[in-house]
Amino acid sequence: MKILVAVKQVAALDEDFEIRADGRDVEADFLIRDLNEWDDFSLEEAVKIKEAAAEPIEVIAVCVGPEEVDESLRKCLAKGADRAIRVWDAAIEGSDPIAIARVLAAVAKSEAPAMLFAGVQSSDHSFASTGIATAAILGWPHAAVVSSLDYTPGAKSAVFRRELEGGLLHEVEIQCPAVLTIQLGINTPRYASLRSIKQAAAKPIEVRSLADLGLSAGDVGEAGSLSRVRRMYLPDKGRAQLIEGDAAQQAKRLADIIREFKGAAA
Amino acid sequence: MSRTDAVTRILFEAFPTAEVRLFYALGYAAIGVFGYGVYVQIRKYRRGAALQLEGSPWSRFTEMVAIVLRHSTVARRDPGAGAAHRLIFYGFVLLFLGTATITLEYDILEPLFGIRFWQGAFYLVFSLILDIAGVALIGGLAFMMVRRGWMRLPKLDYARPDRVPGDPDFDRPHYRREDWAFLWTLLIIGGTGYLLEASRLVWLQARPDVWDSRWWSPVGALIAEGLRAAGLNADGGGLLRHGLWWFHGLLALAFIALIPYTKVKHIFTAAGSLMARDPLAAQRLPRIPEAQEAPGVAKITDFTWKQLLNLDACTKCGRCHEACPARAVGAPLSPRDVILSLREFANATLESGVLPAAAELDVHGKAPGQVAMETLWSCRTCMACVEICPVAVEHVPIIVQLRRKLVEDGAMDPLLTKTLQTIHKTGNSFGESKRKRGSWSKSLPFKVKDARKEPVEVLWFVGDYASFDPRNQKVSQIFAELLHEAQVDFGILFDGESNAGNDVRRVGEEGLYEVLVNANVAALQGASFKTIVTTDPHSYNTIRNEYPDFGAKYPIEHYTSFVKRLFDSGKLKVNQPLKYRTTFHDPCHLGRFNKGYEAPREVLKLLGCEIVEMGRSRANSFCCGAGGGRIWIPDPVGAEKPAQNRIKEAAAIPGLEVYVVSCPKDLTMFEDALKTTGNEGKFVVKELIELMREAIPAARTEEAYA
Repeated sequence: MKILVAVKQVAALDEDFEIRADGRDVEADFLIRDLNEWDDFSLEEAVKIKEAAAEPIEVIAVCVGPEEVDESLRKCLAKGADRAIRVWDAAIEGSDPIAIARVLAAVAKSEAPAMLFAGVQSSDHSFASTGIATAAILGWPHAAVVSSLDYTPGAKSAVFRRELEGGLLHEVEIQCPAVLTIQLGINTPRYASLRSIKQAAAKPIEVRSLADLGLSAGDVGEAGSLSRVRRMYLPDKGRAQLIEGDAAQQAKRLADIIREFKGAAA
Repeated sequence: MSRTDAVTRILFEAFPTAEVRLFYALGYAAIGVFGYGVYVQIRKYRRGAALQLEGSPWSRFTEMVAIVLRHSTVARRDPGAGAAHRLIFYGFVLLFLGTATITLEYDILEPLFGIRFWQGAFYLVFSLILDIAGVALIGGLAFMMVRRGWMRLPKLDYARPDRVPGDPDFDRPHYRREDWAFLWTLLIIGGTGYLLEASRLVWLQARPDVWDSRWWSPVGALIAEGLRAAGLNADGGGLLRHGLWWFHGLLALAFIALIPYTKVKHIFTAAGSLMARDPLAAQRLPRIPEAQEAPGVAKITDFTWKQLLNLDACTKCGRCHEACPARAVGAPLSPRDVILSLREFANATLESGVLPAAAELDVHGKAPGQVAMETLWSCRTCMACVEICPVAVEHVPIIVQLRRKLVEDGAMDPLLTKTLQTIHKTGNSFGESKRKRGSWSKSLPFKVKDARKEPVEVLWFVGDYASFDPRNQKVSQIFAELLHEAQVDFGILFDGESNAGNDVRRVGEEGLYEVLVNANVAALQGASFKTIVTTDPHSYNTIRNEYPDFGAKYPIEHYTSFVKRLFDSGKLKVNQPLKYRTTFHDPCHLGRFNKGYEAPREVLKLLGCEIVEMGRSRANSFCCGAGGGRIWIPDPVGAEKPAQNRIKEAAAIPGLEVYVVSCPKDLTMFEDALKTTGNEGKFVVKELIELMREAIPAARTEEAYA
């Protein structure tokens, strides 16, 4: 039995970054890459289910991206994933979340897992749609922002809870296989020691091409996407100002500004 | 059996052959029991992991003998116990040698070769020496009894800070019973020795060869006179002598037989431990061998034979318990109890004929004998325990090996997990961009050289805290100014530098440590310099002592000794002597770890400051609490922190103006503690570098900035 975990290698901005020449992204040199925080939790959830299960479970991490995402897949292997699959083709560049979902759905079809986990969203682009789009393409039931889960591998359904406004908990039963997007805090992700990451380097990462998955270049990239990034930029500076001086001076200046806004008599 | 022809030792005189034979039989039995016990102990050590000691066994042996004979380690910080132990030791050794030479003559040399030497003047002098040795032994034992019974020393209290009353191994009263049994047994053996001697004199008072030379055994003779005055006659003396002879003899045989089974074995285990001593035990932690499957220690048999021997060497003297900063603030850790706990565990599992199953050998946990993770994470790896141990128990590597297993299992504080991930990602514990590492130098009126791009004389390894912590950045800027003004050709590695890894290694994350070492070594190899100077004692320790194990041997010194030479050569001059009343806090990694006690004090004196030493200084300096990765783990709310404990100590110095540190982490820890202990305004915490700036203001001319 398999649990498929879709992960993403996200980018964080380094100090003093620059925008790429085409104006549609940040220059790659200024990005620090890491496994998406949400995916740390969804992988941990899968590994926990595996460890608690009576029968052997295979946890498979899948990531769409170029060779550099292997680093994040290794982290998944170090934390307990049994296999790692990376899908890449130059044509995938420029895909929107729906196109990425098309790739993930194709992987899900070939692996036929009992469950597919994804993070609620990625910390860099925050579309929060890849997981749900994958469910739509697969025609599987889905749920977003899952904050606790009871699932026994092999069961026909699973019960999960979601947090709603006002502290309400929403308990839902869902038919399997299903796609669940996992919320932060559902568990405590384990630490992958550098030694285990190093050992994971010896494990193979399975690389799939579009052809392997029965997809064509037209299914992905800008050709397969209904949305495209026009530009990425920093808006003009607002009216923020730094108040200098010692605490008393700062307080006085702050009070002056507040009075100014209130329009009260000084 | 008669040997009345000359003055000699009376041995089996008047004993029926059967009794002599019985004694020999019991003697052999005692040796047999002793031998079996030794076998069991050696089998226990051999169940530990293999370890090849460095250096020649002969030099290890002679060093051990020198330490034992000098008693230097036993007398440290407890001269009373040192003196008493010296008396017991030398008394015991002389009496043992006396008995051994009698055996040598009576059982070997005389029956085989007809050689006799235990007579005449030799016997008399030896008799006198042994009588004095007996007094030494009894005197030393008496002091130890007073010490245990009446002095109520906290370090001799076996209550554990990592257990609660009611736990089966909370205060271990059997240890106390054993201590007293040990003292009383030796005392009774000594005491009955004198009584035996006296009763023999009374018994043989008619024999001039015995009686006339009685004052060569002054104590025995004195008691004999007393017994005679009390009405004991020769016959009564003979009876008493016979009874005492057996009592004394049996007790002595029992003592010998029980050596390997009781604390008496420290005679051998302490000597062995001292012989196996690693002078860099805490400074240079062991690498994980390539072939080793799992890192660190999970099972008792993962410890090396030497570490198992260390466990047995402990005499529960409590000096580490007293010196430990974690214990001092009530954390659930006493280095003594880590050792004793593991010893109890080793004895319970490894002394049996068949090695128990692996599952029963797990040393991690809360059951008796196991070590809890809270205990292990309380350690600051400050080395206070290793440094003071009289018998060379090396606690720090034991604790770090146990932590390596915890790290592998992810059994640690979530904040520490986060910090390790951050260090992996960014190369620093602040989670700042690598690019920002040298940003503090941007505001200087001159350009700090990039040692990767142009050759420099001195490469300054700045370290995380001095690079990223805003308070310490100011100190870094001053240090750069001072170097610049002293016309030192220096540079830094900018974003080529990573956390040096000292504390990451002491946390137990060896894999990350290796990543950091490799990154730094690559950067160092790409730079051209003559020597490294660092303002960070933690970086100093690991680059100096541990990087060579990774093939990177660089000359490195802490800034204090470097600056001292700048003063000596006139490159830096004090223009405004400071006249402050100061105290100096020895950073663990500069002082205890690397013996850099003098340079900072000499610099302080050059600046014109008065130094008032705290009670705990130099080798006994009290850790600020930041070491061993503890700076990344939150301290329990409400409990005293080591830094607060330390600031209170300093606050007791009348008229103290400046609490001087020479370590970035110290500055952070103690400025915080100064506030939280309510001592703000009474005195200030300053980096030595800041005081240097104050004393050398004239150098800061506009011209220097041009």
